[in-house]
Parts: sequence; structure tokens; C-alpha cells
Amino acid sequence: MSEPQGSDGTTQRLPVIEKETDPVPVVHDGDGKGGRFWSARRVPAGIVAVLLLVGAGALLYDVTAVRAKRPAAHWRRELARQLAQRPLDDTWVLVGAGVAAALGLWLIVLALTPGLRQVLPMRRTHADVRAGLQRAAAAMVLRDRAMEVSGVQSVRVHTSRTKADVRAVSHFRELDDVRADLDSVLTDAITGLGLARPPALSVHVGRPRGKG
Amino acid sequence: MRTVLKVVNRVVTGLVGLVLVVLGGSVLAVGLGVKPPSWWVHDGRHAVLLSDAERTRWRGDGWWWPTVLAALAVLVLLALWWLVAALRRRRLTEVAVRTGDGEGALLRGRALESVLAADAGDLDGVAHAHVRLTGTRTAPEAHVQLSLEPHVDPGVALDHLTANALTHARDSAGLEALPTEVWLRGVKHRAERVS
Repeated sequence: MSEPQGSDGTTQRLPVIEKETDPVPVVHDGDGKGGRFWSARRVPAGIVAVLLLVGAGALLYDVTAVRAKRPAAHWRRELARQLAQRPLDDTWVLVGAGVAAALGLWLIVLALTPGLRQVLPMRRTHADVRAGLQRAAAAMVLRDRAMEVSGVQSVRVHTSRTKADVRAVSHFRELDDVRADLDSVLTDAITGLGLARPPALSVHVGRPRGKG
Repeated sequence: MRTVLKVVNRVVTGLVGLVLVVLGGSVLAVGLGVKPPSWWVHDGRHAVLLSDAERTRWRGDGWWWPTVLAALAVLVLLALWWLVAALRRRRLTEVAVRTGDGEGALLRGRALESVLAADAGDLDGVAHAHVRLTGTRTAPEAHVQLSLEPHVDPGVALDHLTANALTHARDSAGLEALPTEVWLRGVKHRAERVS
């Protein structure tokens, strides 16, 4: 009966707003870890496909030609002759076998590993969105934040997938103070990166070389 | 890229690798003096790779040549399909929009891409955004590349993208969900000195 009557606009608009705010990021607490990104492995797949196509195609062409009473191609006769002549302990056979085995191992590694090591998976804040941060970009953000600490003259940051290695050169202030400031600033910055597995931070601070 | 193709790429690459390892490894082992089991194709380090007798063993049989031809033809066709699939970049041309009154409409994929990219590019700290749609017209997927300016935290930029640009695009196209992959990179710049 006595519903609070605001202006018409407010009551009309509410449901719409509700609908739009509904998908605002749902943060999962424990399970927000995004998995690694898996590369599609397009380049190795393309190369293997080309080689298979060329090999099988050439053989198919020549076998068909021979079936049609034409003489076999020179390369095929030569290949058959070599295969029937070379013993297994021939140097070239061993070299070829070694290369083939190494290539095979490499292909297996490519097939089984995720790849995309330059992309750090970010924490999933929404079920539909998967995000990755380039490692170089993460290093650049950390460098910029470190440069804002007073007393820091220059910074070099190296990020791996598990570690952020920060080396700063400080030209004034006590080194311990600079290190403490860097620690807190960079810890915040790493949180701000929003990564699924925040890298462990290690900070080194030194004085510039070559100056008294 | 479709998930099926990703799996096929890895499975076939792995299988080819396995064949190479087995062939190369066995020839290497036997060639270096390992004694092979009696049923193995090579019976010692002085055996040849493939003798004339082995190569022509089934040549007289009626089934041999048709089988070889069929196997090669299938291999060529599969390799051709695989190559074409790997080279082609699928891009969504149209998105089915539900208007809510039982009717539907088609939205050009490029239009949704450019709107989404413009929306994302307007966010604070985003220098440039690039969007590509894949998937099917009823279940599109978005791939977003963001170039971030120095002052913004990547986590915050991602939250803004999710809450604004992506939600907006999803709602305006009337989609239930818009699965999205986002890659963030930084704009290269020099370190700024504190004065």
C-alpha cells in the first residue's frame, strides 16, 4: 500500500541497473587460479603437415606412374638402392638415425608442453574471462613502480615465471631504507599485477659503481 | 582456433615424433652394437636398412598395390586437410542477436569487434585494444589484446575491461555468455626518473 514512491524514473530504472550490475566480476577466492595458456602449436603442425604432404604426394605420384607402365623416377630407384646397400653401422646411417631420433624427441616435447612461456596467467575474476600478462609487461610495471621510490637511480627487473628479480642502484639514502621501501612498493605492485601465481620477489640494492 | 584442431595438432605432432624416435632410435641402437630381439626387422649391425627381398616381399600379391595406393592417397588427403586447417584463421563474420521478442537479427562480426575494441580502448590506462571474434554465430568467443600504459595496474585494467567493455558488448548483443581470452602487454617506454 504505502510503497515508498520515489520519482518514476528511479523505480523504472532500477531493474535495468540490476541487470547490468549482475555480471560484475565474481571473485572466486580459492579457485581463482587460471591454468597455463596452451599454444595451438600451429607452426610445428604446419611444417610437419607440409613435409608429410610432400613425401606422401611424391611417392603416390611415382607409384601411380609405375602402375601406368612408366619407369620409376630416378630418386626412387636411388633410394631403394641405398636402403639395400648401406649397413646399419655406416656413418651416414648412424648420423641420419641420430638426427631423426632427436627431431622426434623434440616433436614429442612440443606436443606435450604448454608453450607460451612468455604469458603469465592472471587470476580469474570472472568465469568467462581468461587473461594472460606478457612477462615483459610485468617486468616493465615493476620497473616503473620501483623508479618511484626515492633514492633509486636505476632499476633492472628480470621476471621468470616464478620469480621477480629486482636490482636497483641507489645514489642517496641509506640502502636499508631504500630496500625496505622497495620491498613494500613492489609487494603491492605484484599484487596489482593480478597474477594467478604471483612471482616471489627478490630485491638487491647497491651503490653506483665507479663513484667515490 | 578451434579446440579440436589444437588437440589434432598436438596428437599428430606427437605421433610423428614417436615414429621418428622409434625408427631413429632403433637404427642407432642396433647400429652401435646393441643386440636386437630375434623378431626385430634388423638382426645385427651389418644388416642393411631395407633389403630388396624385404621391399618386394608382397609385390606379387594382388592386395599389395591397391593397399599402398589407398594408404598413400588417404595420407595425402589428411595432410592436405591438416595444412589448410592450420593455415586458415577462422574469423566470425556474423553474430546472431536475440532481440527478446522471438525474432532474431544478424550483427556483422566486424562491427561487434570494432565496437568492443573502441570500448576497451577508452578505458583508463589502455593505449590500444585489438579484438578478434571466433566461435560460432550463436556462441561467439572474443580474443582481446590490450596494450597498457605505464601508470595502470594490469589487474585493475582487466577488472575494468570485464566490468565495462565485455559486459556491455555481451548485453548489447543479447548473448548469454561471451567467453573471452585477454592478453595484456605493455607499451614500451623509458624508465622515468624521480626528480
